[in-house]
This record gives sequence, structure tokens and C-alpha cells, in this order.
Amino acid sequence: MSKVTRRKFLRDAGIGAGALVWGCYIGPKGLFAREHLPEIIHTGVPLGKNNYFVAIVPIEGTIVITTHRAEMGQGIRSSLAAVLADELEADWSRVRLRQANADSDKYAIEFPYEVKEELPFPYNMVHRSKPPQYLIPVEGSQFTDSSRSMTAYFKPMRLFGAGVRAAFEQAAARVFNVDPSQCHASQHKVHAGGQSIDYGDPRLLFHAGKLPPAKYEDIEAALKDPKDWVFITAAKKPMPFADVSDMVTGKPIYGADQDLPGMLTAMIERCPVANGRITSFDPAPALAVPGVRKVMRVLPANVPPGGVGQRFLPHDGIAVIAENTWAALQGRRALRPTIVCDYPDDLARENAKYDSQVFRQTLKDSTAAKGMLVRKTKADLSDADFADSANVVEAEYYVPHLAQAPMEPPVAIALYRNETMEAWAPTQNPELAQQDIGRVLYGLTWDHDLDEEEIQQIRKTVTLHMPLLGGGFGRKSKPDYILEAAFLAKQNPGVPIRVQWTREDDIKFSYYNAASSQYLKAAVDGKKTTALLQRSAFTSFFGTLFPESRAKERAALFNGGIYPYGSAIERAQGLEDMPFDVPKLLIENCPAKNYIRVGWMRSVANIYHAFASGSFADELAEKKGADPKDHLLDLIGNGRIIPLPEEAVPEFNNNGLPVKIINLPVAGGKILPMVPGYPPDTRHLLAVVKKVAEVSDWNNKVKQYKGTRRGLGIAAHRSFLSYVATVIDVSLSEANELTINDVYTVVDCGLAVNPDRVKAQMEGAVVYGLSLALLGEITVKNGAVEQNNFDDYPVLRIHQTPRNISVTIMEVDKETPPTGIGEVGVPTVAPALANAIVAAGGPRIREIPFYKKVVVL
Amino acid sequence: MSIFQLHVNGRLHTVDIDGNMPLLWALRDILGLKGTKFGCGVAQCGACTVHLDGRAVRSCSVDVGVACLSKITTIEGLSPDGSHPCQKAWVELGVPQCGFCQPGQIMSAAALLTATNGANPTDEQIDNAMRGNICRCGTYPRIREAIHKAAGGAKS
Ligand code: FES
Ligand code: FES
Repeated sequence: MSKVTRRKFLRDAGIGAGALVWGCYIGPKGLFAREHLPEIIHTGVPLGKNNYFVAIVPIEGTIVITTHRAEMGQGIRSSLAAVLADELEADWSRVRLRQANADSDKYAIEFPYEVKEELPFPYNMVHRSKPPQYLIPVEGSQFTDSSRSMTAYFKPMRLFGAGVRAAFEQAAARVFNVDPSQCHASQHKVHAGGQSIDYGDPRLLFHAGKLPPAKYEDIEAALKDPKDWVFITAAKKPMPFADVSDMVTGKPIYGADQDLPGMLTAMIERCPVANGRITSFDPAPALAVPGVRKVMRVLPANVPPGGVGQRFLPHDGIAVIAENTWAALQGRRALRPTIVCDYPDDLARENAKYDSQVFRQTLKDSTAAKGMLVRKTKADLSDADFADSANVVEAEYYVPHLAQAPMEPPVAIALYRNETMEAWAPTQNPELAQQDIGRVLYGLTWDHDLDEEEIQQIRKTVTLHMPLLGGGFGRKSKPDYILEAAFLAKQNPGVPIRVQWTREDDIKFSYYNAASSQYLKAAVDGKKTTALLQRSAFTSFFGTLFPESRAKERAALFNGGIYPYGSAIERAQGLEDMPFDVPKLLIENCPAKNYIRVGWMRSVANIYHAFASGSFADELAEKKGADPKDHLLDLIGNGRIIPLPEEAVPEFNNNGLPVKIINLPVAGGKILPMVPGYPPDTRHLLAVVKKVAEVSDWNNKVKQYKGTRRGLGIAAHRSFLSYVATVIDVSLSEANELTINDVYTVVDCGLAVNPDRVKAQMEGAVVYGLSLALLGEITVKNGAVEQNNFDDYPVLRIHQTPRNISVTIMEVDKETPPTGIGEVGVPTVAPALANAIVAAGGPRIREIPFYKKVVVL
Repeated sequence: MSIFQLHVNGRLHTVDIDGNMPLLWALRDILGLKGTKFGCGVAQCGACTVHLDGRAVRSCSVDVGVACLSKITTIEGLSPDGSHPCQKAWVELGVPQCGFCQPGQIMSAAALLTATNGANPTDEQIDNAMRGNICRCGTYPRIREAIHKAAGGAKS
């Protein structure tokens, strides 16, 4: 690398003057194009609406790939870049990654659900049935949530790589004066006959830069045949893991590690009650602490404190701003006793009375009455079906509030100067964070939706950098901590303010997973289940996001239940798509109000829905005297696409890919009726159950363990478009001390693009699931969360982790698109564990956390 | 405020700070060594683990006034180039997910291998040495495997 190039490269992460930049974008109405963007070479002007995922530095030939999603441990930075590099035939040792800032204009892709014009649009055909019936549309943004990165961006990344490779082949044809069909790219070079030319060769780039934009059809035709994949599915080489060497030497910059000149650190003492106000405080004791510079309110007077119905606004708080973290901590300690909170309105007053133990009963009572209809079979279920009490099984399950507790506590830096705001924040939700920072910048309140003009203005004046996240798990989808930094920055022009949360802050001011009560009742006839009633009560996050005054409007927009009922998103997570095939089925959603901030945690409503259905299946097997695995297969039935539209579910949310028919124009002017996103198909669920029985040696072990204090439990669940089945092997001592011997988990996540990270996610999900099942509980008294830190909100440690966590990935056709992985391994863990404990002669556990019923060492 | 001399990664730093400041904040905020992480502040999570004279300690719970009596090693100083056997094993097995806990994990693991004189520890020894280090991403199975590997042995 020449000195000049190196300097430029470093200055602008490779995208300064001197790079050939390829815009690869999906334009209005689904037109996909690849275009060389000559202006950047000479002028460096902004690229406007074009995604620019690939840049090439001349001569040295370094390929700079933009990674636009939030990296929080799923390895997506490397995986998506490697997909692109694979199609591009890039030599990975000559690839650099460039992390994008928040910019939804560049990175969001919307699928035109109302496809009217005859334009092709990138989608992944699902070849699970032939001819293919379903597709997964390419649709996504930077919002790294719902386990959708690979589902949404696998195809675009392939197209971007293939498009640029095809351009190089055409350019090489001009250099060599041969027909393009004679040119073939491999390993950072284009070969033609006996000659070859490197990707960095200026002659190649000169001709490539002169090519007209490519058409979508041509790029799609340039995609590699799966048999030529190198990194994808780790076909020939392991998928690269770009950050790993830095991670073991302490080099990566996480949110708290960014150093800026003149930066001050803020710690915030908050009102513990949702929607509560701090009415008075005395800054003097904090200001007396050496190193403390300022003590100030976070929220301006016209912004209501965060809590129920206030989206992602922070709780009311007083900031201690200091020269370093230790001074800020001590100042905050001195401030704390001087704070007085009050509850100015009925809402806050009610919140201040919230007691989660009392609320548990409220939830239970809610499921005692008829709820809102969620799903029903054509055959009506009635009381008469449960008349014969000897053949009725009923059970209630409870899951408390849970906190995500990512290893890195929330942290954010903001700098306000020259009417602009610049922020550095670990966030899963960069676009929303950017817009909300914009509201702070312009003093806009949260009671109206931003119009397009405001959004465009904010994009120009708010820059949000995305460092690595030290874990997210849904906590960092909510930008409250970023807003705190922005509010403080606004009051301190020219000074970068870093808001650092403590672990106590993280535990006490989360957006908690909903507390939930589930009631299930079934009628059995011999080995058959003839009728099933499920009632689900949970505090929907819609209550936290939107005030009651806007609940109706919002519900219409999001196809949600009107507060205090659950949203379409939560209903679609294991309730509407409850997989058991029974002749008479009735599922209802019962109301539950919000008194603290409720959000979502890794796998969300699937946690309580899978715990209930997975445990109840086992209770039915017990009643029938059946083997739990055989019974589970039986209960799922022959395998089918769950006929949701016929069972009173007109529009199933399906992880944001609603199951409804659209007419897709395809090549040749034909129309193909298609279902975007593929619907719950229990044949895949049956397949993972059978597979996990095989890998866990279920049949033999069940016989072997009979009559001992060792046992197996099983559960299966579909979430985020993927199917998982899990078997857990446990032992119980005479004193009911629990040992988890083995966990076997099987996942069908479509194409496993990066098998090692799929495995890692599944291993981690087992640990996460065991954490919440054994130990997870947030309780609230007088509106304030009672837990503080990892001593009273424990999470799984290494000595509690089973020695064997075995992950099996189902083989699928290479044309099958990838589906979710980040969250999908969590839901089956709690029910499989509860069922295993029963099999080992322990108690039936119907509530989380389990440590209250068995001894967890 | 007082003057302290801190021996960190083979270098001597003179700092003028409150002697009650936990070593963690001195490392991060005063010396700019950001590899040592803050996860709990109360010796519960191990994200802040460093070595004092080769022993693993939680830097959030050791005051500068005490730490200045020992030689301090942080993740940045564990090896000059990421070549410590633990670091190598961690890379080979792809242990990290988000990576945030890993500096602390590696410092605890390295101290364990020093304590066993490089011999392959048993799973029980690993559990005991590593139970103070939380990994919320759940990389424990790979951490175990990597420690065995770093010790040059197969799984015990
Ligand atoms: S930060 Fe020191 S042990 Fe958690
Ligand atoms: S790798 Fe994320 S906390 Fe351990």
C-alpha cells in the first residue's frame, strides 16, 4: 500500500477519494440496479438514496464492504460481508469492513406488498414445496431485531457481490478485448484464457467505471450456483469472523470506550416509578465531590417523564456530570438522599402502587373470564366438551417480568454543536434513535408523528455512529439511554456527554418482558385430545409505547389489539400459531394493564407461550400415560400448514411477513399468486422433534432412566420462521438438587449461511433459556423494581451450565432461504426443562423461576 | 487526591487521583486502557478482571491505593500480539459472541493456567476458577473447551 493511499484509506475507512464505489440499490417499486457512482471519486459528495455496500481502492485492490446492521454477538457483520465477498469472488484477506452510521435512506428495503407493475423484486423462493408456494420478500432496515438480518439481507448481499463481479468480468473483456463469456472471476482476479487481471488494476476499474447500470435480471443471472459457494454455508472455507482477534486482545471500541476530547461523564439518579416526577433535589452535596462539574435535570419541562404510554422516553432523572466515572458515581451517591419524587397524575399514582405479586393474581383472574377471540376451529368449543371432569386436564402457568441484562450496561455519548447532534451509541435501533435524537435537537415532542420533511431534516443534522454492542437481547432496541445523552448534550453545547448506566440502572430501568399468566384446559378421550382452550394474559408492550389516547389509532396501524389487549406481534408468537391439531380449539387473549415499562427480551412472547404449550403437552401425555415424545408428535398431528385464515386469524403477523396472498408479476408477464413469508407448517416441527429424539437417543434413554432420578424432557416451538425442538436430560438428588446433564437442540433455520455462528447462537440461547427458567425474576413493589444487580438478579454461570450442549442443524435444500436464528433457541428450554424434572421424579413446575421448586446449586 | 505509581503492563504511570478510586476506573478513565470492562461494579460479573502479580482480581473492587502495591496486567498486556495460549485457543474455537465479557474471561483463564502450571485443569477446576465471570451470551461451553485447548490437552 502506498503511503498516500494508506493515509486516505485510514482517513475515511477506505471510502475517500481514490476508491471506486459501487452503489447497489433497490429503487422505487422494486427496481434493483447496480450503478457505479463516479462522483465520489472526484468530489466525495453524499450518495443520496443509493446504498453503497462495496468500494474498491485502486492499485492495492482492497475491497471495503459496508456493514449496516447492529453487531451484538450474532456475528452478522462478518456473515453478511462474507456473503457479499463470496459472490464477488473476493480474497477475504483483502477485504475491510466499514461500519455504517444510522441511515435508513441508504439501508432500508421495503417490499412493495401491493405489486402492480411488472417489475421483478428480489425475493427468496421457498423450495420446501415444489412447485414453490411461498417466498420471503427481501425487506429490512438497520433495526436489528426479530432475528431478521440474514432473512432480509442474504439475497441483497449476494446480488451486490454478483453484480460487481459481473461488472469486473465485463470490464476485463474490454481490457483483454475478448468476449465477456470468456472472462471468469476468481479470488480477486478476472481470468481470460491465459491472462488475468487483479481487481485493483486501474485498467479494470477504468472500464468498470464506464459500464452502464446493470439490470436486475442480469445480476440475478450472475448469482453463483450454490455448488460454487466458498464461505456461504462454510462450503469450502470456514466463514470469517472479522472481530475475533480484536475481541481477545481488548481492542474493539464498544459504546463506553469511545474517547472524545473534553468529554464528561454523567450518572443519572432516576425516579423509580414509571411516569413519576422528581419534584426537588439538592445539588450541593454532589457538587462538593471533587471532579463533579454540574448537577442538572435531564428532561426539559415540556417533555413528560418516561413510563407507561411514553414510548422510549427516559424516566425522570437528575444527572451528575463529572470529569470521570468515579467522580460521577460518588456525586450521584451524594445526590441520592436529596431527591424527592411525586406522582402528579392518576397514571403515576397507580404505578406507584404497583406490586407484581398482587398483579400475578390479577393476571390469573383475567384468564378466569372469557377473553378476546384469537383463534378458533370451525367446530365450536363449549362447556359441554369439558363436562366429564375425569377426562379434563387444566393448568396455569406463570412467567414473571424478566430483564435482558446485556453484559454491557446501556451507555451513550452525544455532542451538540453548530445546530447539529452527533452521537455514539450501542443500539439495535439506529433509525429510531436518530429520529428521537432529532426530536431533542429541534425540541419536538413525542405526541405527534414526524412528517417526511422533519425526518429528512433530522437525517441531515443528526449523525449516529454504531459501535459494537456488548449484547442487546432487545434492551438496546429502546433508545431511552441515548435520549438521556442527547437531552444533556443539548444543555451543554460543545461538550461531549457520556451517559453511563450502572448495572443497577440496567436492572431497575429496563423495558421488561411481560409478566404473563396462561390458562389451559383440555378434554381427553383415551389417547386423543378432543378439545383445547387456551387463555393468555400478558402486559403488552403496546401499553408502554402508546398512551391510551392513541391506542385505537395505533392498533389499527399495527393490526394490534386495543390496549389492554396484546398486539398482533405478541399474538403471533406462539399463541395464534399454537401448533397442536385438535378437533376443537379456542384461544383467547385476556386483558392486562401496564404499570411499568414493558418491552421485549430475546424471543419475547414466545417465552411464555412456549412454556405453557410445551408444559401442557407433557401434562396431557402424563394423563394419558403416553411417552411424551410420541405424544408430542401425535398432538402436532399429521403435519399441515396451520389454516389460520379459516380459524379466525385473518392476518397472521408472521414476524412482520404477514401471511396473505399477493399477486406477484414474474418474468414473461405472468402473475404468480404468492404468500410472502412462509406460514407455520407443522411438518417442519414434526421433523425437528423426530430429529431431536434421534440425536438424544430418546427411546433408549427413557427405558434406561425409568424408575431412577434421571429423566428426559422434550419441547418444540416455531418462532421467527424457524423450527426448534429440544431435549434436556436432568438428574435430581434426594434433596432435589438439580443437575442438567445434557441439552440436545435441533434447529431448522432454513439455509444455515454461517453454521458456526448458528451453532453459537443456539448454544447461547440454551444458556439464556436456562438462565430465565431457573433464575429469572423481576419483582416490583410500590412501583419500584426490587432487584439491583447480578447478586439478586442472577444469571447462569459456568458451573451451572451443562457439560454437553449439542446443536444439530437440519439439512435443507440450498435454495431454501435463511430464517431467524438469534432468538429461536430460547423458547423450548424452559418447557423441556420443566418436563425433564417431572420425568426425573421431581415436581411439576408451572412457574418461573424454577429455583423456588428445585435446588439450583 | 494523592500521587500514585501504577505498574501496568510493564510500564510505570504516575497519577494524581483519589486513592479510593477503584482500579477499573483508573485504568479506563485515567490511563485510557479500555479493554477492561465494567459490567456490575460489585465483584459479581468478572468483566473487569485483571491480574495483580499474576492473580485474577476484580478491578472494580480494588482501590488504586491497594493496586499500586502490585504489578498490574490488563488484557492489553497479557501478550504483545494476542499470542497467549488462551487468546489463540479463543480465536481458534470462535469463543466470543458480543465479546464484551471476554477480556475478563481470558484474564481469569490465564490466571488459572498459571495456577496449574500450564497443566490441563479439570472441568471442576475450570468451574471454580471461572464462576465469577458471567457471559450473558452464553459462551461457557466454548470457554471450557478453549481452556482445555490452551492447556494443550483434550477435554478432561
Ligand atoms: S465490573 Fe467488576 S466484577 Fe463486574
Ligand atoms: S460474549 Fe457476550 S457476554 Fe460473553
